[in-house]
Amino acid sequence: MTALKIAVVVAFGALALSFWSLQVAQHERYLEMAESNHQRTRTVRASRGVLFDRNGQVLVENRRSFNVSIVREHTRDLERTVSLLASISGADPAQMLDTVQRHLNEPVYQPIVVIEDASLAQVTAIMARRLDFELPDVLVEEFQTRQYPGQPLAAHLFGYVGQASAEQVANGASSGAIVGQSGVERAYNELLMGQDGERHVVVNSMGREIRTLDEVPPVDGHRVQLTIDYDLQKATEDGFKHAGFNGAALIMNPSSGEVLSFVSLPGYDPNGFASGIDHDTWASLNSNELQPLQNRAIQGRYAPGSTFKLVVATAALEEGLVDPEHTVNCDGGASFFGRYYRCGLAGGHGAVDMRHAIEKSCNVYFYRLGNMLGVDKIHEWSEKLGLVGLTGIDLPNEQESIVPSTKWKRETTGERWYPGETISVSIGQGQVSLTPVSMAVMISTIANGGTRVTPHVIRAVDEGGGWKMAAPPIISGRVALLPETLSVLHDGLWMAVNAEGTASRARITGRDVAGKTGTAQVVSNEGRQAALRRGSEVRSHGWFVFFAPQENPQIAGVIFGEHNEHGYLGAEVARHVIETYFAKQEHRGLPALEVAPVPNVAPTRDSESVLFVDGLPTEDTVPMTGTF
Amino acid sequence: MFEKRLYCHMDWGLLAAVLALCIIGVSQIYSATGGWTEIVETQVYGILLGLIALTVCLTVDYRTLADKSHFIYLAIIVALIYVTLFGAVQGGARRWIDFGAFNVQPSEFVKLALALMLAKFVGDHRARVLSRLDLVVIAVFTAVPLIIIGRQPDLGSAMLLIPVAFTVAFAAGMPMRLLGVLTLLGLLAAPVVWQFALQDYQQERISTFLDPSQDARGAGYQQIQARISVGSGGLLGQGFTEGTQGQLRFLPVAHNDFIFSVLAEEQGFAGVIVALGLYLFVILRALESARLAKDRLGAYLVLGVLASFTPQVIYNIMMSAGLAPVKGLTLPLMSYGGSSMIATLAGFGLMLNVRIRRFTN
Repeated sequence: MTALKIAVVVAFGALALSFWSLQVAQHERYLEMAESNHQRTRTVRASRGVLFDRNGQVLVENRRSFNVSIVREHTRDLERTVSLLASISGADPAQMLDTVQRHLNEPVYQPIVVIEDASLAQVTAIMARRLDFELPDVLVEEFQTRQYPGQPLAAHLFGYVGQASAEQVANGASSGAIVGQSGVERAYNELLMGQDGERHVVVNSMGREIRTLDEVPPVDGHRVQLTIDYDLQKATEDGFKHAGFNGAALIMNPSSGEVLSFVSLPGYDPNGFASGIDHDTWASLNSNELQPLQNRAIQGRYAPGSTFKLVVATAALEEGLVDPEHTVNCDGGASFFGRYYRCGLAGGHGAVDMRHAIEKSCNVYFYRLGNMLGVDKIHEWSEKLGLVGLTGIDLPNEQESIVPSTKWKRETTGERWYPGETISVSIGQGQVSLTPVSMAVMISTIANGGTRVTPHVIRAVDEGGGWKMAAPPIISGRVALLPETLSVLHDGLWMAVNAEGTASRARITGRDVAGKTGTAQVVSNEGRQAALRRGSEVRSHGWFVFFAPQENPQIAGVIFGEHNEHGYLGAEVARHVIETYFAKQEHRGLPALEVAPVPNVAPTRDSESVLFVDGLPTEDTVPMTGTF
Repeated sequence: MFEKRLYCHMDWGLLAAVLALCIIGVSQIYSATGGWTEIVETQVYGILLGLIALTVCLTVDYRTLADKSHFIYLAIIVALIYVTLFGAVQGGARRWIDFGAFNVQPSEFVKLALALMLAKFVGDHRARVLSRLDLVVIAVFTAVPLIIIGRQPDLGSAMLLIPVAFTVAFAAGMPMRLLGVLTLLGLLAAPVVWQFALQDYQQERISTFLDPSQDARGAGYQQIQARISVGSGGLLGQGFTEGTQGQLRFLPVAHNDFIFSVLAEEQGFAGVIVALGLYLFVILRALESARLAKDRLGAYLVLGVLASFTPQVIYNIMMSAGLAPVKGLTLPLMSYGGSSMIATLAGFGLMLNVRIRRFTN
């Protein structure tokens, strides 16, 4: 009996020692484990700043949405969870599994978002599945998502947001943070994003929050006002839709560089990116041969065609090579260096001075001026007008515009410049390759008399203490154009619209619109048949640059029509924009434009036969070396 | 029937300690289940019914009960067979007889019936040493309920019958040599049992015990969480209803198998020492009544009852600190469970019975 008593006492003594070891000796360690069991730090997303147009109209705001995540910490059988979740929500299980696999190196308590921006139906269906029992590892979180205009509008201007890429995380963004990936969202991400907060919470064994221990509240992003005018933006895009072609447009205040309207078409719906885009949409956007993701206004580079004649005219006058009354006799073409270059009008324009050469867009006149100037002078004056390099617009990934020079050719190809190439350059073909935004700067410089403004889209920021005007960007450069140069250019541009010129479709009574059309070949005559056989698009691009009114211009811009064949088609778009602008200025009702319900896509190649019916009144001919 | 004389020999200290453990148990169940729930209520009813059972087992002379032990034993075996065939299933095992308003778990009562039966059998024995045949009879008496319970399956409860048999047989003069041989046989049989007799979940529990981290979400999870609960309690505990492990459900079946972990977390090492002290006191006092018993029957009866109570207490406490594989074994007097409470208190009634009648004829 005593032996039994001793045995029991020893056993209980051993138990007491074990508990001493766990509870007293190793207390710290287990306390820490208990805390990491039930304490979690949750990110509280800051609201992204709302974007306004110049009149205070909301352009981009936020809306409530739901994310569905898997928390691996509570997963018993991942495949079962995924297949059940996929069948409830109608999502693709393979893709969902793939998403989880990509985050396997993150801590197990970190929720992995598998359905971004879930629909209300999905959320209801998932919540109905008694999460604690059937899907203990599934978490439904509410947060805010970007809301862009429903009808895709100014998609490339706004850009989109997305989870920080590996590169952005390396540059200081926190993993999983939503940051601007393009457009204004990216350019002004720091202002818009705000500072995410943190919530220290107690969770139960199912990961459900029980209570909050402490919280660092988020700092919401700043409100940002853009220089964009919503009505003008809409008018421009409606204009394109009405005309039925894609392209780009940039409308701005020629004396300040404030961008009023920024268009790149075809667009896309940035709402699709607001909370993460699905594979299929992304793939189709990327593989679409119309390249809807390309921001044509600042990234597309195209030969400017006849609009470039303004540069050649400016150079010739400023260099004092000719005076405005210099007259050339055009008989439908001219020979240079043993080659015959044609004019647009088969019979020739007869004797034309510079004003009429601009009005009628006479190639022969500018062949001769270009030949006199040489390519380097053309390059120099292009630069002064804003056509070389970057314009410095406050949007990401602008491409440099190129106007060739002897030096440029030597450096890029190692070859010397042939004088014959200058002839093509002088009518905006050959190696001239310009972004629409640089064209907008060029026409603004001519409109305002020589100030090369920097186009910009930010107008004001509200950092909490009310709106503060953003500091206007520095002026890129100034060239004092001679009064007679300006007078000739302005006259010629006015005549092109209001007299017997090529841009009569932009005419508005009493508005004195000044403008110049341009049509740029995308392939040379020799290359055309080969290109057709390849199935490439061979139709020309059309340009229209303009400002209005001729005296003290208030609005200037460029309409670029991709493969629309004729520059004067862009003039129609411009007219609607200008009419809208003045209607707003004078507080009248906005002009209506009947938009045909045709999808805004380029015609298919079935219409080849129509493409090459000659005799349509193109203003430019086909230069021999025209390439793009 | 109840004599004043007996009342004087009542072991009030033991009864007080038993009641103290019951009260600690109820308060920790209150904490673990989040207030005055149906579970707490059931436990209180269990204690009240248990006290009635204790009184009954105390009042009727244990010798009278021992004379009827074969009827009690048979009745329990029948109940066990009934449960195995028609019982209610809970948690994968068929252990309960469903009476509608309440469930009864007959396996809890087998320990008492077996102790009574064996005490009677060897207590009547005149010889100093048990014969081979006696040992076979003891083995059969034990094996029948053991096999039935093991097939429910409730391996934990079944195994608790083995010490009952051994303790009684050993006290009655089973040769030590035989004990050695049986232990050796047991060790040799272990792999065979592992392979053929254990269910998957049982194998899993044991292998997980040897390395809890291999299955941190499954069986090992309970063990790790139990250890965290105990360790995070510290010297003085997190405070009543303040333990995060139990309150936030990291600890599985906290009010039942892991009630001692809840106690350790909320009351700390201090609370653990108090509870361990109470259990030790109860066991030592009960052993004392075995020594004082007037006859061999009484001594064997006390030892038989203690032989299942003591290992169960020790095993559960080890398990609740993550020191033993997780098994569905409750902590007598503290864990939630009406049948267990009634049977345990009835057992104490029997032990007290032996003590108060130590001077009677």
